[in-house]
Order: sequence, then C-alpha cells, then structure tokens
Amino acid sequence: MKIKSQLTLLLVFCGMLLTYAQTQVSGNIVGSDGQPIPGATVLVQGTNNGTTSDFDGNFSIEVDNGQNVEISYIGYKTQIIPFTGQDSINASLEQDLQELDEIVVTGYGTQRKSNLTGSISKVTNEKLDQIAVSRVDDALVGQVSGVNIAATEGEAGSAPTIRIRGTGSITGVSDPAIVVDGLLVDNDYLGNLDMNDVASFEILKDAASAAIYGSRGANGVILITTKEGEEGKTKFSYNTYTGFKEARQSDAYYFSIAGSEARERASSHPSTGGAGNISNRTLRKLQIGVDRDWQDVIFDGGVITSHSFAVRGGNKKTKYSTALNYVHDEGVLLTDDFKKYNLKLKIDTKLNDKFSMGVNLSPSYTNRRRFDGSTHDILRQTPWLPTYLDENTIQHVNRVRDGGKYAYAQVGDYAIQRMFDDWDLTNDVAVTSGQDISNTSNTNPAAKVIERDRNDYKFKLYGSVYAKYKVAKGLNFKTTLLGDFQHTKRDRWQGVEAHRNGASNAQYDVSNQSRIHFVSDNFFSYHFESNGHELDAILGFSAESWDTEFESASGQGYTSDLLQNIGAADPTTVTADSYDYAQRLISYISRVNYVFENKYLASVSYRRDGYSAFGPDSKYGDFPAASVGWIVSNEDFLSGNSVVNQLKLRFSYGISGNPFFNVGDVLVNNFPYLSLLQSSTAVVDGALATAFNPINIANTGLQWERSIEMNPGIDFGLFNNRITGSVEYYERTSDQLLINNPISSTTGFNNAIVNLGEVKNSGIEVEFRTKNITTENFSWNSTFLISSNDNELVGFGEADGQIQNVDSKRAAEWINQVGQPISSFYGWVVDEDIPLEYIKEPFHPIGATAQDVYVKDLNGDGLIDDDDKTILGDPYADVVWSFANEFKYGNFDLSFMVQASLGAQVRNMGDQYLFNQFNSGQDFNTSTTPNQGFIKQKIFTNDIVQDASYISLRNVNIGYKFDENLLSNLKLSSARVYLSGQNLIYKTADNYTGFNPESINNTSPTTWGYQRAGSPIFRTMSIGLNVEF
Amino acid sequence: MKHLKYLALFFVGAFITSCEDDFLEPALTSAVNGGSYYNNATELETAVINMYDGLQGANSTSAGDNHATQVEFYLTEMRSDNTRTKAQEGEAAQFESYSVEATNGIVADYYRSFYNVIFRANLVLANLEAAGSSATRFEAEAKFVRGYAYFNLVRLYGDIPLITALTGPSDTDVAYTRVDSDNIYDLIQSDLNTAIAGLDNTYTTRASKAAAQALLAKVELTRGNYGEARSLLENVVTTGNFSLESNFHDVFYDEDNSETIFAIGYETGGIDSQNFSAEWLNAVGRTSGVNYVTADVRAAFDTYGGNRTAVSFRQDESQATEYQVAKYFPNGELGPQYAADPTKAGNDWIVLRYADVLLMHVESILAGGTTTTDGAALASFQAVRNRAGLPTAVTEVTKDMLLNERRVELAFENHRLFDLVRMGAAQDVLSAFSSANGYGFSSTDLLLPIPQVEIGLSKGALSQNPGY
Repeated sequence: MKIKSQLTLLLVFCGMLLTYAQTQVSGNIVGSDGQPIPGATVLVQGTNNGTTSDFDGNFSIEVDNGQNVEISYIGYKTQIIPFTGQDSINASLEQDLQELDEIVVTGYGTQRKSNLTGSISKVTNEKLDQIAVSRVDDALVGQVSGVNIAATEGEAGSAPTIRIRGTGSITGVSDPAIVVDGLLVDNDYLGNLDMNDVASFEILKDAASAAIYGSRGANGVILITTKEGEEGKTKFSYNTYTGFKEARQSDAYYFSIAGSEARERASSHPSTGGAGNISNRTLRKLQIGVDRDWQDVIFDGGVITSHSFAVRGGNKKTKYSTALNYVHDEGVLLTDDFKKYNLKLKIDTKLNDKFSMGVNLSPSYTNRRRFDGSTHDILRQTPWLPTYLDENTIQHVNRVRDGGKYAYAQVGDYAIQRMFDDWDLTNDVAVTSGQDISNTSNTNPAAKVIERDRNDYKFKLYGSVYAKYKVAKGLNFKTTLLGDFQHTKRDRWQGVEAHRNGASNAQYDVSNQSRIHFVSDNFFSYHFESNGHELDAILGFSAESWDTEFESASGQGYTSDLLQNIGAADPTTVTADSYDYAQRLISYISRVNYVFENKYLASVSYRRDGYSAFGPDSKYGDFPAASVGWIVSNEDFLSGNSVVNQLKLRFSYGISGNPFFNVGDVLVNNFPYLSLLQSSTAVVDGALATAFNPINIANTGLQWERSIEMNPGIDFGLFNNRITGSVEYYERTSDQLLINNPISSTTGFNNAIVNLGEVKNSGIEVEFRTKNITTENFSWNSTFLISSNDNELVGFGEADGQIQNVDSKRAAEWINQVGQPISSFYGWVVDEDIPLEYIKEPFHPIGATAQDVYVKDLNGDGLIDDDDKTILGDPYADVVWSFANEFKYGNFDLSFMVQASLGAQVRNMGDQYLFNQFNSGQDFNTSTTPNQGFIKQKIFTNDIVQDASYISLRNVNIGYKFDENLLSNLKLSSARVYLSGQNLIYKTADNYTGFNPESINNTSPTTWGYQRAGSPIFRTMSIGLNVEF
Repeated sequence: MKHLKYLALFFVGAFITSCEDDFLEPALTSAVNGGSYYNNATELETAVINMYDGLQGANSTSAGDNHATQVEFYLTEMRSDNTRTKAQEGEAAQFESYSVEATNGIVADYYRSFYNVIFRANLVLANLEAAGSSATRFEAEAKFVRGYAYFNLVRLYGDIPLITALTGPSDTDVAYTRVDSDNIYDLIQSDLNTAIAGLDNTYTTRASKAAAQALLAKVELTRGNYGEARSLLENVVTTGNFSLESNFHDVFYDEDNSETIFAIGYETGGIDSQNFSAEWLNAVGRTSGVNYVTADVRAAFDTYGGNRTAVSFRQDESQATEYQVAKYFPNGELGPQYAADPTKAGNDWIVLRYADVLLMHVESILAGGTTTTDGAALASFQAVRNRAGLPTAVTEVTKDMLLNERRVELAFENHRLFDLVRMGAAQDVLSAFSSANGYGFSSTDLLLPIPQVEIGLSKGALSQNPGY
C-alpha cells in the first residue's frame, strides 16, 4: 500500500510537468527484491498496445496521458500505473503470496503450502463442477498423482473405486478415509455431495500426513472443504448443464445372425451340413427376421442434468453460504437412474474478539433406481430374439408346444426363446417336436430388467456446530459437535413377468437402515511467532459414536403387479429380519509444527485411538509421525537464482492404521473378538424349531492394521515459477493386515478374520505444472502427472502360496505368494486353440466359442497338472498418467485432459458368459480330438486374463465468457457458456474384449481383478452455463 | 455473567464426551455372545437343533453357504446310471460323464457343508456338561448326526480328515491330514452305537434309536458285517413303529408317514425351504434340467417298477423326449403353473425309510452271496414287492434281483451309487452304462476328488485321490 501511494504521488507530481499527448515512455520492472524481471507483460489498458520487458527488465511503450498501464507477470501481483506524463514508468512487483502460498487443509488445522513436510495434494474446484458426472469422486479422475479412481461399476450413481498409492489393506476395505468439513464420513457420503458445493479437495497421501487421522489413515485421507461465504457483496450464482451419455460398446461382444450365417457358410464343419450350407437352427433363426445386438437394447444411453443455485456473502463479522443443488442422471443402462437433491447452509460468525461460532448443515436426498440384472446374463441372448412380439414375429410363435403354454401369445408380449422352438422346417409349421433354436428357458432378458424395480433411497443429514474461544494470545480452544444421520431405504419389486415361473416368483423386498453418527472434537491450538521461530501446536480429544439399526421384510405370493408392498403378500411367505449395533471410538490427538527462519521445517504428531470392535487387550493403537523439510531456496546461496526460485526438500515418516474390514456380516465386522451366535431354524415334525448357529471364529487378539510409510520428496519452482512441481518417492509397508482368510472348511467355517501378512507398496509420483504462454490475450498452462506403484506381498505367514477362487462354479484361481503382487492371477498358459473341426457345434449358439483350449506343459513332464500352473498377471497398473492443458484466448477458454492407465490386467469372466463357453455345442468331440490330456477350460488359463490398459480423453471443456459490458446491462456480474465432453476417446488394449477395462467385481483384495462384463464406460457430451449476479 | 454463557458452551464438548467406563464396549444386542452361552440344557438344545439346520442346508445360490442335502443328488444319483443333466452342460454335467474335476464347485460345496455339520455336532459334544440330565440324549443326537455326516463323506471322498473336536484356523495338521477310511468307519460305528444307546423313537426329523440302528446297519453292510447288520435291522422291524405306506405315492407327499424313519425337514417359502424339487424340472429352478431320468433306469422300471413307475418319473411336458423325476414335486404341485414359489419348496427329504430297512434286511441275509432262499429274506423282499403291486411270490432273491429292486424302489433317493458300491457291482454296472453312453467311467471315478480349494489352501499337504 505504501509503495503504491508513494508511486501515485510521484506520478501525479510528474504528470503536472508534462503536456497532454501520446508519449513514448520507457520503464523498468523489478521484483520486490530489486532484481529485474524479464518477460513481464506491459499493456495499455483498453488497447492492444503492449510489450514485454527485456532481460534487464526494461521496456518502452507509447501511451496517452490519462491511460492506465498494466504490468503483469506470473507469480506476481498485477500492478496498474496511471500515466500522467511521467518520464518513466518504474514498477516494483510484489510476489503474489496467495498464488505461491496456498493454504492447505491438513486435518484439524491448516498450513501454508510452502511449509508442508508431508505429501498433500490440493485440488481446487475450478471446473470440476462442469464435468457432467453425478458423483464428486467421478470428477477427480486424473487430478492427483497417486490417486487412482476407476469406474468399477458403471451404473448411474454407483461408487467408483478409489485407491491412494495402491492397495495396501487386503481386507476389502482399501478405501481412503473421507472427511467433509472436519467430519469423517462413510465413503457412501460422496454419493450425496454436490460438486457445485465443493471448494477444494486435499488428499493426504503419506502416512505422516494421514497419521493425524490415526487408525483410519492407512489408505490415505481425502479432505473435502465445502464453499463458504466471502466478505463483500452478496453473490448469487446459478450453474447448470445438460449432458448426453452414450455407452461404449464392445465389438467383441457384438453378435449378429447375419455374421453367424456367413461363418457357417464359409465353414465345412459337419454341423452346418458342409461348405456353403447353414444349419437348420440358423435357417429357422433367419426366418424370424430379427437381427440386432442386445447391447443396443440394454445400453440405452441417457441424459444427465444439473442445476445449482447458491447465495454467498458476508460482512466482517458474519459469512454465510447457502446452496440448493439438483442432479438427475439417467445412466446409460436400461432402467438405471439417479437423482440427487442437496441443500446447504453454512454460517460463521464472530461474536466478539474472543469468541466465534458457526453452524454447517446439509441435508441431502438421493434416489437411485438400479439396473436390476447382469449384463453378462442378458447380452448372451441371441440377436434373433425380439424384445416384444410384433405382427411379424408372432407368426413364428409355436402355439402348440409345451402343452400349449404359448397358445395365447399376443402382439406386445415379451418374446421368449422357447416360443420359437419345435418347428417343422419342411412344412414350415409349428409342431410339438421339431427344430429347436432356444438356448435358454429364461424369459426375455429385457423383461428381467424392466419388470424389476429396485431402488435405493438415501437421506443424509450432515451437521456441525462449533464454538471457538480465544483463551490467550495465540491460544484458542475450539469445541465442535459434528454428526451425520443417514437413512437408507431399499426396495425391490420383482414383477410377475420378471421370471419364467411368473407370479409364483414375484417378490417384494424392503429394508430400512438408519445410522446416527456423532463426533465431539475438543481442541486447544497454539500459535507462536517470534525472531524467526514459528510454532503451531494442537492438542485435542475426540469421541465418536455410531449407532446403526436395520430391518427388512420380504414377501411373495403376489398375483399381479398392482400392489407392490408387504401387505399384499401371502402372509405365510413373509419373512423379516432386524438388527442393530454400535461402534465407539476415542482419540487423543496432538501435533506440533515448527518453522525456523522460513528455511527449516519440522512436524511431529501423535494420535492414540481406542476402538470398540477390538478385544479388551487390543483396543488401543498408537499412531505417531514425524517429518522435516528444508526450504533450500530461502538460503542465501540460492536467493536471486534466475533458474531456481523455489526448492524444498522434505522427508516424512509415519504410522497410520485401519480398523475396518468386511467379512460380509456387519455383526462380525463390529464384534470380531466375540464368538457370535445367530438364530437359525430347523423343521422338526413339521414345525419350526429355534436354534443358534455360530457365525464366526472369535479372534480375541485382533488389532489394527498398520501402515508404515516413508516419503522423501522435492518441491520446486523454476524460472519464476513458470515450471513448478514435485517429485517424490514413497515406500509404504502395511502389516498386521486384517484379512478374512480362507481356512480349511473342516473347521466348520470358510474364513477367519486374522491379522496376517505384510504388503509393500512403493512408487514414484511426479507432478509438473507449467505456464507455457502467458500474455494478455492468450495463455496456455499444462499439468502433467505420472505415478507408478509397485505392489509386493512381503510376508503372508503360514498362508504364503495360498490359492483362492472367487466363484466355486468358475473356480479360476488367484495366488498370494510372497515376492509377487497380492492376488496374482494363477493358472495354465494357453498353447493353442482347439481346431474348429473337433468342436461339436462351433456355431451354436450365436457368437459362442470353444470352452476349452490346449495349454502348455510348462515343466515338460508330459502331463498337465497343478505343477504347470503359473502366475498369469496381476490387476495393478504399472503406470498411471494424465496430461491436462488449459488455454485462454480472449473470452474463450479450452481445457482438456488425457489420462491413461497402463499395465493392469483383468480376469474377464465376461468372455465365458458372453461367448457361451459352457454350452455343450462348444465341447470338443471326445472321440476324435487329439491330445485331450493337454486340454483345459479357458477360464483356468490366461485366455481370459486381459490387458486392462486404457488411454482416454477424459475431459474436454470449451467455454466462452461473455463481455462484462454486455452483462452489466443484464445486471449480471459474469456469465459463461461451455461445451464439455467426457471419455470422447477411450482406447483399450487389443486383447481386451469387454466394454469397461476399469470394471472390477468387488471381491476380496486377495482375489482382486475379477470382471464379469460389468457396466460399460460411457461418453458424455454436455452443454453448460454459469451465471453470477 | 456474560462469561458464564461462554463457559457453558465451552464445556458442552466435555460434557458430551464424558465417557463412561464401558464407552468402548457397546452392548451386543443382535447376536448371542457364544463365549458365555450354553449354560443349561435349554441353551444347548439350540445347538442340537442347529445340527438339523446344517443338514437342511441353505436354499441359496451363494457360494459360501452350506447347501448340504440340497445338492446331494448331484454327487450320488447323477454319478449313477439313474440320472443325468438334460443338456449335458456346465459343471453339473461332469458327474454323469465321469469327468469330475477337482475344481468342481458342487464337490467343494458338499465337502464344506458336511464338515460344517460335523462342526455343529462337535459344538454340542464340547458343551455337554451344560446339559445336565439331557446330556445322554444330546450326546446321542450329536453322534448320530456326526456319524451320518462322516458316513456320507467317507463314501464319497474316501480317506478324509478326521475332526472329532472343535478346531480353528491353526489346526492345519488335522485339517490337512487324510485319515484311513477304516478309522473313519470306526468312529462312525462308535458314534452310532452311542446314539442307539441314548435315543428313543420320539422323532423322525430328529435322530432316533431306529434311525441310528438303520444307519448303523447300512454301515455294517458296507463293512461286510452282515450279522450285526441283520440284528440291527430286525430290531428296527420289531419295534413295530414302522410300516410300508399302502400307497407308494404317499411316501413322498404325505409327510412323516408310517414309513419314515429319518427325514430332513423343510418348510415352504422361507429360509427352511429346499430348491432341489425345482431343479429337477425343466426351466423352473435356478439351474433346472438336472437329475433327469436316464433311459437305463426307465428300462429297469419297465421290468421291475410295478405301480412305482408312474410315481417315480414322468415325461417332460416341454421336451417330449425327456423324462423328469416325479418324486418330490415342489410342494406336491405338478406344474407348469405353481401357486407357491417352486424354488422354495417344503417337501421333507427322506434319508431312511422302512422299505430301505426291509431291503437291507434282505441284503444282510444275502451276506455278500449271490442268492438266498431264506424265509425272512423272502418275506422282507415280498413286502416291498407287494406294495408295488407285484404280488407274485418270489422263491429266491439273487443279488441282481435285490439291486434292481432297490433301484426302482429307492430311485432318485440318492441310494443307487452307494448300493452299487456296497454290493460290489459298481465297476461292472457303471462301466457298461458308461460305454453305452459314451462316458469315460473308470474305477477311480467311484471316489470324488478332494476339493481343489482345500488342496490349494493346504499348499499341497492334502493329497488328491487317484485319477484327478
């Protein structure tokens, strides 16, 4: 301020001496340290007249008296100097500390980014709310190195899988902790947040940073800060977009009767009647006259719409923020649909110098209709089957077969494969025993989905109040009561036409779950600053409780779809269940951050947590962390360096934990140290007799999973921060893993929850952010993130070498072997396909392929057995990168991000279903096929282990900002329209056959990477508008 | 005064979190704490009933569930010459073609389920001291169930781990050690003798003395102890509690009838229902089209069936060339439209019935020979034939006659494979059946593989049966 007013005075004084005319004026630009700034932009406001400073910071420009000269340079605050005739324009630019020194939320406090010693990434919501996705986590893909977000389920409103620095835990709960405005919430809460309401994400990646969340930090922490009001004029903003979504289909799973016919004609296989001929089956299918792929039916595309209206403002004492948000996502699958309503109120007020308080309240409601079916089941339906009978296809319905079951078929009924069986091809007439074409007795696949109505209704209420009191200079006390209430209702109607058995299988299920979660945080915080010493400390106590109730009911015996409730069910079929349970956590939290002379940084923290789910002897866990940093660029020898203007070395070490595991039973999850009995019933003499059945093996010594991580890193800024970035390495060892380990079934159980094993994740993360071009009219910034993670099972105790499977009917194996990634795919190696001549009916059903394959005799002993099995791959990406660019030209802006994941594999069981590999037509002929001892089912080989790599154009956004002059007439302060696209390009590896390489069935982490067709990746094109007034 | 207001707020947090001593030990409200349960006979009886729940198996498709009796037909009937799949598809088709793989999920399911039943029995035995005066009866029931489970397992899998107490994850030595089947049979004999001593004939859907005697008789027949078997069976006969139903149809549709010695109870609609009835039909159950009737057994019925034929199988209405089992139609409904969900049927499953006892009686007198004219044997044999509407008196019973009679009388009741093995006919009969149908039977197919999942977990400590 002082410099500015002095300058103004000087300029005014000079101006008085000069005449009123356009003048060539020269000047010099220096930084606050007196060093010249080359390349700064000098511009006469309101004109195109501009120049840049030379190597010594000098420039020369023509300017009229009374015009303003704007001097800007990245990393510095822009200065505007009125020209009043002075003979030189000299500017001393102040560094823009706000840009250089963001404030970063660290958990129970904040820190200047320059003083961070751990690994924390911040993502500010600039355009994230313009990505047309219905969940906030979906928008984070590619935004932070080391954070991988995969669309493991593609249904509207379904949660993606988030992994920070790889899979550490192997309990099934490797999800990061999510903290919204200070409250650690269920991950499910991400489905209820609205991106328009999010100010920033901070991701605590290393254990030292996450250790402040102690027992829940082991998988990293995502801190979400919602928007708050700012001092000044009340701002109204309205944001909206509408997007059109389309599924990415699989070419490999595209089946057509025409294609099948062509293959049959080209083949001389006996099942088709020789070369040039087709089988009777195919002949019959062609008669029906329908040929379209079921992907076109099931992947029906959809529209996504978002509206958000917010009012934010405040004065010196009180700030407020309130918002109303709505999202409707139709999803790309048949019937899937997601609606979200979200309300927000946040008020902070200072009562006086010592006392402040605030309240934050956010109710939200979501309604998600599910796609109540399995794509792997539906898509293998043959392309000749119509969805509904029409005037043409009804001619082909066999009204006499199956005791006249289809005698009354009408136009508009669902078409069922069996309707078209038993045809006399010679006389073209329906008979009771003739040519069959069906390969399933199931009802129409579309009916299975359309005639089911399955919904999740979730109401969540987030709330917090705090009071903060200044006890003494630098010492504050804050008490916060936070909590969330959630109610989830799920219902499912399986209509009378949803099942081949009709009304007798109609069923209604309903369940209600509610949970109330309270946290009381009580913290002292202390700040001290003197003589180059700067100290921040917190000391706190926190208690947390969750109380959950659940009840469900189910009924059958319906005769129609008219009444879909329990009351209409046959009372004798109604079953009900209910349970409740509680969880408690107590924490003692402390942290000290110390900075000396802005060069030497240190941070120490310690948290002790006690958790109710562990037994009396292992309730408490300790989670210490320490980190140090050295800001080399603040040392004398680097000051004024023209290349390096920021350089920090840092190192952190910490221990964090994870108490959560999922064994599939909530009571066992919460009381694993007890032997639990649940009611069971048996029928004795025609009546039910009550029993109790043990559901687990108690583990009294069960304790926290631990994560120990060291993380050295370098942060740098080069060429006046034109290039900034960081390089870091981490090594995270997770031990005492909570694992629901398979055990011999002779114990009476299949699994037992134990602390077992040790997994190491190590990797490198690099971030580069560059300001490639910065001029008045044009700017181009880029961000390049790349990370690689290496997963290794370091110890697995007695279980080393253990082999598991996911599905006993399709028992493809995983091995957990020390020295290898956890859950490596295991099995035989394909040698070659069985020639078609040995397959019984290679063209039946349409699109089918052989279920068997020749495998390699790896040990060369002349026979195929377990000793020929080997590791076939693993489901973890080697390298993940993203490259984002932002351009601004005048009022236009363009940004796009390319993102890729390389080196992961999936076990795509979709192939076995979609290619009908279990069909007897695909069996090899046992009497002619050679070397049958070398044949194994494909599902036990690397035939279905596929490269899940992809590269995608994740986001594109082109916007136009309306001219302010134009807007002022409309009383708007800003307005922008944009076009945006997601996944417009999405390339997968050549041998990948499915429609979503990111899709993973949620199995145990010891059997990760199982894909069963899943739901597709989709591309979205949207148009949006942001208005502020 | 002004500060008081602030002070009040200041301590709100402390007040709320003022934790009680047991803050970290919330009450367990929705499950029973097994550590402090089983204190008296009433409580222990819930563990006794739980064994029958185990035998019943869950009516579910969930891979981890215990399915026990619900999937038994796959491993028994479908490995005999009686049944097959309709479409020769999927892992179910491995049984009929004698190409069972160690990875077969049903093989693992049954193994897991019956060891779970054994666990439930061992749980009762481990807590007997709580039972007081009921200890004898509970011990007898537990040993009956355990003996029954081991008898099924040893006949299907051969040498198997012998678990006679509660075990945990660290007891890998017993879990992965295969014990010679002779020792398994010794335990079964001893368990069933205890059961006989401690039981009466109150129940048919819980263990009874007669059930234990009949079961032990079958064990003795299997081991070649014909005399012991005969006296056990005659004990069952002389109780007078049991008789043949006059109408063969009623055996399967009139539950808890005079012929039932031991049955596993089911109830329509809920979690105590069974799905095998629906599975045996065409497009009714979840898998469906399994346990379809072979031409071979139809031929046997033509010759020996009498009035049992119509009650035992029928033509498939949807596919006229195929035949379905007619015993245990879901809830007695014939279809194709069902009033109650056929996949949740309530038909009880009969394990032991009087006709079986009578025919075992014949077998015990035949005593491994090829023919008998013993009057007692002829009488028992004739009683079964008479009920079938075949009153022509027989003057001798040969081993083949007995096998055929058992085949048609007890068809689709999971006896055939065990009968063939026990009477030493399996190799010949199944070889002939296999070559006639293009299957690949060899003698090693008489035992199932030890589930691959167990071998994988044992890291090879558990050996596989020959031929797998």
